[in-house]
Amino acid sequence: MSSELPRTLEQYRHAVRAHELSAEEYLDETRQLIERGDPQVKAFLHLRLDAARSDAQAADPSSPLAGAPIAVKDNIMMAGERCTCGSRILEHYVAPYSATVVQSLLAAGAVVPGKTNLDEFAMGSSTENSAFFPTHNPADLSRVPGGSSGGSTAAVAAGFALGAIGSDTGGSVRQPAAFCGVVGFKPTYGLVSRYGLVAFGSSLDCIGPIARSVRDAALMMNVMAAHDPKDATSVRRSPVDFEAALQPTLAGKRVGIIRELQGLDVQPEIAAAMETTRKAAVKSGASLVDVSLPHILSALPVYYIIAPAECSANLGRFDGVRYGLHEDGRDMTETYSKTRNAGFGTEVKRRILIGAFVLSAGYYDAYYKKASSVRQLITDELDAALQSADVLLTPTTPTTAFRLGAVTDPLEMYKADVFTIPANLAGVPAISFPAGKDAAGLPIGLQLMGPRWSDADILSCANVLFTALGGES
Amino acid sequence: MIIDKETLEHVASLARLEITPDEDGSLLGDLERILGYVAQLGSVDTSAIVSKRPAMTELRPDEPGEGLTREAGLGGAPAMRDGFIVVRNVMGGEDE
Amino acid sequence: MTTTIGLEIHVQLATQTKMFCGCSTAFGDEPNTHVCPVCLGLPGALPTLNAQAVRLAVRIATALGCTVHEVSEFSRKNYFYPDLPKSYQITQFDHPIATGGSLPIVTEQGARSVRLTRAHIEEDAGKSMHAADITLGGETLVDFNRCGMPLVEIVTEPDMQSSDEAYEFLRNLRRLVRWLGVSSGDMEKGVMRCDVNVSVSPDPAKLGTKVEIKNLNSFRSVKRAVDYEEQRQAQCIADGTPIMMESRHFDEVQGTTTAMRSKEASNDYRYFPEPDLPLLQLDPTELESVRAQIPELPWEMQSRFERDLGLSPYDAALLTEERSTAEFFQQTIALYDNPKKLASYMETEVAKLLNERDKTLTETQLTPATLAGLLTMVESNVISNTASKDVLPLLVDTGTTPTEAVRSLGLEQVSDTSAIEGFAREVIAENVTQVEQFKSGKEAVLGFLVGQLMKKSKGKANPKFAGEILRILLK
Repeated sequence: MSSELPRTLEQYRHAVRAHELSAEEYLDETRQLIERGDPQVKAFLHLRLDAARSDAQAADPSSPLAGAPIAVKDNIMMAGERCTCGSRILEHYVAPYSATVVQSLLAAGAVVPGKTNLDEFAMGSSTENSAFFPTHNPADLSRVPGGSSGGSTAAVAAGFALGAIGSDTGGSVRQPAAFCGVVGFKPTYGLVSRYGLVAFGSSLDCIGPIARSVRDAALMMNVMAAHDPKDATSVRRSPVDFEAALQPTLAGKRVGIIRELQGLDVQPEIAAAMETTRKAAVKSGASLVDVSLPHILSALPVYYIIAPAECSANLGRFDGVRYGLHEDGRDMTETYSKTRNAGFGTEVKRRILIGAFVLSAGYYDAYYKKASSVRQLITDELDAALQSADVLLTPTTPTTAFRLGAVTDPLEMYKADVFTIPANLAGVPAISFPAGKDAAGLPIGLQLMGPRWSDADILSCANVLFTALGGES
Repeated sequence: MIIDKETLEHVASLARLEITPDEDGSLLGDLERILGYVAQLGSVDTSAIVSKRPAMTELRPDEPGEGLTREAGLGGAPAMRDGFIVVRNVMGGEDE
Repeated sequence: MTTTIGLEIHVQLATQTKMFCGCSTAFGDEPNTHVCPVCLGLPGALPTLNAQAVRLAVRIATALGCTVHEVSEFSRKNYFYPDLPKSYQITQFDHPIATGGSLPIVTEQGARSVRLTRAHIEEDAGKSMHAADITLGGETLVDFNRCGMPLVEIVTEPDMQSSDEAYEFLRNLRRLVRWLGVSSGDMEKGVMRCDVNVSVSPDPAKLGTKVEIKNLNSFRSVKRAVDYEEQRQAQCIADGTPIMMESRHFDEVQGTTTAMRSKEASNDYRYFPEPDLPLLQLDPTELESVRAQIPELPWEMQSRFERDLGLSPYDAALLTEERSTAEFFQQTIALYDNPKKLASYMETEVAKLLNERDKTLTETQLTPATLAGLLTMVESNVISNTASKDVLPLLVDTGTTPTEAVRSLGLEQVSDTSAIEGFAREVIAENVTQVEQFKSGKEAVLGFLVGQLMKKSKGKANPKFAGEILRILLK
């Protein structure tokens, strides 16, 4: 085995195919990193390293993922493994089937070292809402990794996996990717099957790859993107080779800068990273265009109506009748309330209550219906802006990773999603890629958004910028 | 005020959640602020907006699919007898 | 007092698999054996819409004259109940697949067209069995085999005024769904279930308070429940006690309705569009082809049978109860042009055999050609009507031709007058007393003599000829 371990999935694949490294050897190295580092980082809720080792032994080196360890967020079902969603209500729940994406990854030779921590039911931006323990940012253990896919991004950043999958409902892949200094991609809604992803906001949820390079994300997308007859929102499209579509430059690309986001309060180093990246884009052959999205700032309130509404219905199934936590009451009504009260944490309850409120008689029109209309308005504006620009460049987050316990006000926490939410509302693809560090050495992430189904193009543009800024090609 | 204690209790009962006394005050305050924040949408003119929800591209053929055995699907249920799930009597409760 | 009745009928569609998953729709199997992640509401499972359920719903809606909408939408109806695994039912709310339409009914009060409000598609819940309510700690048992069964819910306008009309509506709807192959319509198996809205008002111009009687599972129950409710509400009005707008339960044993326990939370179902299912868009050319494939409807065929074939309303109704029977009748009529005789033969002799065998017409070997052949042989005196009853079982069970069957049974009727004359002379010689009685005016004795002749001929003599020949010889 060569002295230097591969840093990316692409390098790993190359080494395995050249017989310089075996999947088991790499897994053993990974195991050591996990055993040494995870007690501090706490990226995983459950590990399956012995099973992963035999999977690695059996992995075909010529398969697309060649036995590479890929971590799975614990709200995505993997048959025979626990799937807790970071919640007491599913603490002991074992999945009887696998998500389509997990099946695809396994079929492509991925090895799953464990299931990663998350904010309970993916509701949160710091992974502090996990019912079990918070995850720490490998870049600075006193800071949050972001959320809700904080376990997955921390695992990739800490070298516990070559890639990971997360779910992104309002930025839950991109925001923690930015905080941890890795790549996080939210595909076009309908490109990757949701079957087996425990639903939070069904019209917003997307499974996306988390990786150390944009190319790695593209490699993972080659495995993950496929029409699934089990998901009616999955769309049949001709297959795309996302890796082969990566271009060397941005020649002819119009990079849009959203006027209405200029005035927002962002950390100075992030504003500086935006400037550097704009210049890098121009240097790579792109032109900059100014675009206007008059209602983009309404995205946040729209999201905090639609997502809770959908979650209030989606989380009703956790009722203690068929599976999961059960607390007995005098009658069914009491049994339900006791079970759900004991099973759900505060943030989840808060969102279920908001959701039930905005859907209830007398409030539906003013809240849910209105939010649906504004969502359409924002989507229309975004679609129009993406006629005059090929991609839109924004920060991923207004700040870099904050300290654990620093943000306690839920509304303040919500407001940190301002840049990531529009892509979920409109169902367009968006990627967060590392773009330098702040004064404290914390990673900065920037975001590209593009039109629906321009996933290959988004990855290509992000790859150019990421490498121009010093990232792994 | 958007949401009062009574409305909160009504909504909680719809969602089958209990509001415990210790979270009562803070929860109501949080919800009031969050709902107050999202209520800003009221000022957006949406009169000309047409919904563009997509349509299903294909339906499922009426052919048997893979199921689960009772054990695989319900093996973790809190109470079962003779293959049935057992729950507290709901006779006369909510009907459907 | 004026009674106003509206119905909401759930009809289970005759598909192989459930509405949103590939589980079997078979009835009567071990509990919780037709289940999967989707119909158990397991975390992460997603619904996929059964194409055949949509086709069947479009077929029934088209036959009912509904406007079938090219675009419809699914919604979630949220409520907690142990037999509802997701805590919401996927149904249609704001944009159902069909609206309008009507169904004709005929009762003693006359003919009426009952207007429909809408028809929408949805999934069924599981089945809850409530342990006998003896102790407070009673239990409910839940089976999810039924959960996710495909249903079409048909909602009528409040257009009926008597329990007879409600009964007739259900009967005719059941006939239609079976006719179209949309559903087995089997109420005993819960394939058709009905909620009834009844309001009684002293003022015919004003509607009374709407009372809903839930989950009736037989036509008779519907009739009894409406009759009881009509009388109960009339009594309330007479007594001056207010009628509550509520849901009531029908007690099959007592024949009474009782108010259901008021709910913990009010009915606030928080409907919203189902995000897991994009809009349902129907192809207009496919809708047209469904329309083109709708056969002549049972009531249309029924009135044609009365009008063009001169059948009695009773015969026409009986023959159009099942489409297979009606079509068999039509095909037979083309080969044997005596509709009344055929109708009566089918309703008596054929029906009797089917009953004995517990089979439907299509499950036997009888064909329009063999039945027509048999009746033609009777008509042309090749065999007697009595002999035909011996032939029919062979046609039903073996599928042989009537000629073949008659030959194998040796039943050709003797119409040769000289042979009959021979038998007649023997009978006259052997029954002197009866011959005297006849000659002295006792006409009835001829029957006895004909019987004796038939016996001698082993049943083969044409009885009409036998009677005539005896009469001539006795003059």
